[in-house]
Amino acid sequence: MKAPGIDEITGDDPPLDVIAHGLVFGEGPVWDRREQRLLFTEIIGDAIWEYRPGLGAKRIIHPSSHANGMTFDREGRLLVAGWSKRTIWRQEPDGAMVDIASRYDGKKFNSPNDIVVRSDGSIYWTDPPGGLVIPGMPGEDLQRYIDVQGVYRLTPQGEVQLAIADCHYPNGLAFSTDEKILYVNETRLGLIRAFDVAKDGSCGPGRLFHKLAGTEDGVADGMKVDTRDNVYCTGPGGIHIMDKAGRLLGRLRQPRHCTNLAWGGDDWRTLYITSFHDVVRTRLNVPGVAVW
Amino acid sequence: MSWKFERVAGPYQGPANGVVWDGAGAAVLFSLMEEQRLMRFDPSSGDTREFRKHTHRVSGLAFGRRGELLGCQEGGRRLVEFASDGRMLMVDARLDGKYHNYPSDLAVDKTGRIWFCDPHSRTLAFGPQFFPPLDHASVLRLENDERNARVLRRVTFDTRAPRAILLSADEKTLYVAEGEPAAGFVRELRAYPILEDGSVAPYALLQSFGADHRGPQRGIEGMCLDVDGNIIAVGGWRRNGPGPSVLVISPEGAVLESHPLPADLPNRCCFGGKERDTLYVTTAGGELYAAKTPRCGFDLSPR
Repeated sequence: MKAPGIDEITGDDPPLDVIAHGLVFGEGPVWDRREQRLLFTEIIGDAIWEYRPGLGAKRIIHPSSHANGMTFDREGRLLVAGWSKRTIWRQEPDGAMVDIASRYDGKKFNSPNDIVVRSDGSIYWTDPPGGLVIPGMPGEDLQRYIDVQGVYRLTPQGEVQLAIADCHYPNGLAFSTDEKILYVNETRLGLIRAFDVAKDGSCGPGRLFHKLAGTEDGVADGMKVDTRDNVYCTGPGGIHIMDKAGRLLGRLRQPRHCTNLAWGGDDWRTLYITSFHDVVRTRLNVPGVAVW
Repeated sequence: MSWKFERVAGPYQGPANGVVWDGAGAAVLFSLMEEQRLMRFDPSSGDTREFRKHTHRVSGLAFGRRGELLGCQEGGRRLVEFASDGRMLMVDARLDGKYHNYPSDLAVDKTGRIWFCDPHSRTLAFGPQFFPPLDHASVLRLENDERNARVLRRVTFDTRAPRAILLSADEKTLYVAEGEPAAGFVRELRAYPILEDGSVAPYALLQSFGADHRGPQRGIEGMCLDVDGNIIAVGGWRRNGPGPSVLVISPEGAVLESHPLPADLPNRCCFGGKERDTLYVTTAGGELYAAKTPRCGFDLSPR
């Protein structure tokens, strides 16, 4: 039995291609439409990769300070959640890498995990402490200084604000299409919360949006929204797809531990999924929300 | 004459583990694994304060030759250094390129080599399990090779679950508390002669702990040394055997003294105080006990 709606998204027989393999902790997929390429990170392998359809995958930045989530800002510059670097950094057009946020209230962040940009130019990211303790993630300083596991916002004016303070292990995050809701998932609790976003970018109290079910391999990690406001989240057994009411439409079952996802291609209908050891690609009928 | 132990700190949530005397600060530092904290007990005031938080399951503690505080971070499968400026630094150590297991206890010798026992653990490291555990659980040693590069070497080849380690004062003997209190394990106090080339010769068995209808005895969990070269060992439990106690064991393995502890499940011990005559003992109940003794502790930490 399929819930109504899932057929419209996947069709009957979606393809599945492995486009990169042999990775150690793939993550951070983002489509670069200017260059027609997918960028993704290999966290423990300590690299940023590009994949060009028809050409293949190539490591373009190494070492990467164990970079994790990535996106583009409003000027098309690559933004990186620096998991071991403990900063949000940006790649300038000339290739220079610049930290744009490194502390809150004078204290180093825990380990920025995933990142998203709002249309006003402000940048939101999750800050769980996992990057300080996972084996294979050597940073310069492993001490955690901030007691909360928060979601932060860097305003267009350059101020770092603690947007959400009460998370247990915040990981993936994504806006609804109208940017009035910020979805944040909690790896430890296996659920997704929804926060109303005010005009000034601040977030209201969280409410439970969806609790992930399943006993297979996989946790709440990467999360994105499509153009119909369906929410896609990694979880047990693959990618869980919920409608905007939080109802599970179905799962894209994957025999791998999925970590994140991103749409790409000219029509934003190619879905790329990163996992612990590879990156796969499928085609869907509903486009994802374009990045930049 | 029994030693009179009194509780000086705790109980906290979960076990208290590593304990070390900070000679420079005249205080006892001890770790709380579940609370993810290091605590500092000041004997002059009787106060216990938080020393570090967010330690990610640090167990054994020891000072290095520069006076730096080292810890066995089980949550991250590594040794860490607690820098005096507040940072936590990773001690990068792989065995032939592989990640080692879950360091639990360590000792630093006069030349700065770090010896640690590296058992397996039922509690897995945080996050994805990319690195399988080693196919052995051994005493390992981090040292400089002939090119002065840091290298990790395997020391024991006959251990399955080394729990606690100690070096003799002349650093010619490695004491290992081997084995878990579980079926299929021996529980032994072993003395390995350390050879010139750094390897160890076959061990002498100093003490062995058996089993009865109530199950295996617990054996030794933690050790320190006195200036006469005796091993001060804590271990045992109320379930069976003589109960939780402190044993004073000669280098040949003779039990010279046995002192009952008022709390169950002692974990580690160290001498402290200006005269190094107070024995501090941590327990699985999250407590720190202290007793004045007629003995004097041996340690290399700054006085």
